[in-house]
Amino acid sequence: MAKIGKTLLKLDNVTMKFGGVTALNGVNLEVKEGEILALIGPNGAGKTTVFNVITGVYKQTSGIVNFDGISLGNQKRYQVTALGVARTFQNIRLWGDMTALENVITATDVHKKSGLVGALFGLPRARREEAENRERAMEILRFIGIDEYSDRLAKNLPYGVQRRLEIARALGTSPKLVLLDEPAAGFNPAEKVELAATIKKVRDAGYTVLLIEHDMSLIMGISDRVVVLDFGTKIADDIPSVVQNDPRVIEAYLGVPADAS
Amino acid sequence: MKIRNYWNLRDFGASIWENAGRPMRVAIVLISILLVGLLPFMGGSFLATPIASFDAVLVYPVGMFVLMSLGLNIVVGKSGMLDLGYVAFFAIGAYTMAILGTTTKLNTWEIMPIGIAFAMIAGVLLGIPTLRLRGDYLAIVTLGFGEIVRLVVLNSTWSKGPNGIANIPMPPHFGPLKFELENQRLFFWVVMAMILLTIWMIRRLTVRRPGRAWEAIRQDEDAAELMGVHTLKYKIWSFTLGAAVGGAAGVLYASKNLYIAPEMFTLNVSILILACVVFGGIGNIWGVIIGATILGYLPDRIRFISDARLLVFGLVLVIVMNFRPDGLLPRKKREKAIVKKGANA
Repeated sequence: MAKIGKTLLKLDNVTMKFGGVTALNGVNLEVKEGEILALIGPNGAGKTTVFNVITGVYKQTSGIVNFDGISLGNQKRYQVTALGVARTFQNIRLWGDMTALENVITATDVHKKSGLVGALFGLPRARREEAENRERAMEILRFIGIDEYSDRLAKNLPYGVQRRLEIARALGTSPKLVLLDEPAAGFNPAEKVELAATIKKVRDAGYTVLLIEHDMSLIMGISDRVVVLDFGTKIADDIPSVVQNDPRVIEAYLGVPADAS
Repeated sequence: MKIRNYWNLRDFGASIWENAGRPMRVAIVLISILLVGLLPFMGGSFLATPIASFDAVLVYPVGMFVLMSLGLNIVVGKSGMLDLGYVAFFAIGAYTMAILGTTTKLNTWEIMPIGIAFAMIAGVLLGIPTLRLRGDYLAIVTLGFGEIVRLVVLNSTWSKGPNGIANIPMPPHFGPLKFELENQRLFFWVVMAMILLTIWMIRRLTVRRPGRAWEAIRQDEDAAELMGVHTLKYKIWSFTLGAAVGGAAGVLYASKNLYIAPEMFTLNVSILILACVVFGGIGNIWGVIIGATILGYLPDRIRFISDARLLVFGLVLVIVMNFRPDGLLPRKKREKAIVKKGANA
């Protein structure tokens, strides 16, 4: 078990409004180094919106997002990635016409310096960085356990492998924090068990994980802490066993029992 | 009913190339260059074009179309941005040559880098504000840009307005080899050299980081940006490199034609070059070359049927696009990484 360290990501009173709709309402959230934090909530609770605010897809209406001592408010999306936040997508968004390996290599480019001129004239640094990227990408594919698919086009891969490739691609950017958006969507129970092991492995390799997931048994098994959102508001934030029995969480998911009202 | 891939020339060619060793590859390249270089001597054969002289047709439209299509392919094929104003860069190159050639003592080769630079600057200036747009919106803005450039030269005194600029000097001769109007072999070889240089550039870039960035942008721009690709930068690079090739073609065109006027730089040219790219196979260098060659050559080859030739030309386009909707030689669906060999993991 990895040691849980200082606060890596901090959302301070973040509000996100789309016209008249308040998707997030004063959300406070802390992710600590080395932990697996699960973000759960009913449909439309604002989970993916949290991801989109962190990665710069949306600019929050108010509040501060602080990552590793840097405010993400004015960073462009690619800069957020360069700072060390990587994500996967709920609906798979790989580059289908690229091979699995290329998908990861493209992500590893983010920390490399060589650009167009180096590539054009085959300058030594560009050549070295290409070799490093390739090696690193292969390493990541092996780590996630999908290296046998490295030369297959992403769009031709089986669904489960595509989901894993999304994680591999996110790791390609050498992030400090990995945001996984429903990585187990559409998985059968056996695949979910396998995925849980992978996520643990990712955390044990030194990455911090923030995870959106619907499958309770998966979350209870791997997460160190669970945050529950409902209608854009945080209603619980504790260790899994406590959250599981929190009456407000049960209410949000199942509704109030008839005899209680 | 779909009839497709009954004959797969692309994979056939690719398999020969991939199975060849290095000496074999060098031989293939040299022999191909030699054969293409000998084309101007084929004027007496079945290839002959009635009315227009064969070596002139090889330079313009064929060679120029190939060059410009390769340039446009960087923008449209590699990074997936629809550019309908490509003729603007061609015009900028041509007018740079015309004005500097008639007012200064600089020769074509000295003006060439200046023309390319101007086209690239125009590419950057247009790119920075507009490349935040996508798809149809970008197409409309570039279409407008193409028209603006034409209207500016049409209505300005420095460009001599609709009269155009005449007496543009020919390139100086290379030793014993002279550029002549009657014999355009030398022009053809220069265009060929420029095409080879462009192919080299594209191939170099596509196997490395810029090519991957373009590919990622083409397939899913949002995902690319969220994975750390500086999308705006790479889109501007793509646009600028395309502009550079268009500018270079323009300089040579002006110096070959000796006279240019705004009516040569209409939207039709942009559309025709785009047609070459789509007809040959978007994103595939060899497809684009074949497409541009056919679309450049065909109208002159069938000139003997005079008025009906445009009809035939249109029919050929429609029929081919029906049978091969992805172009003659579509983009290869590789199952192999875009990385240089030798970097073994």
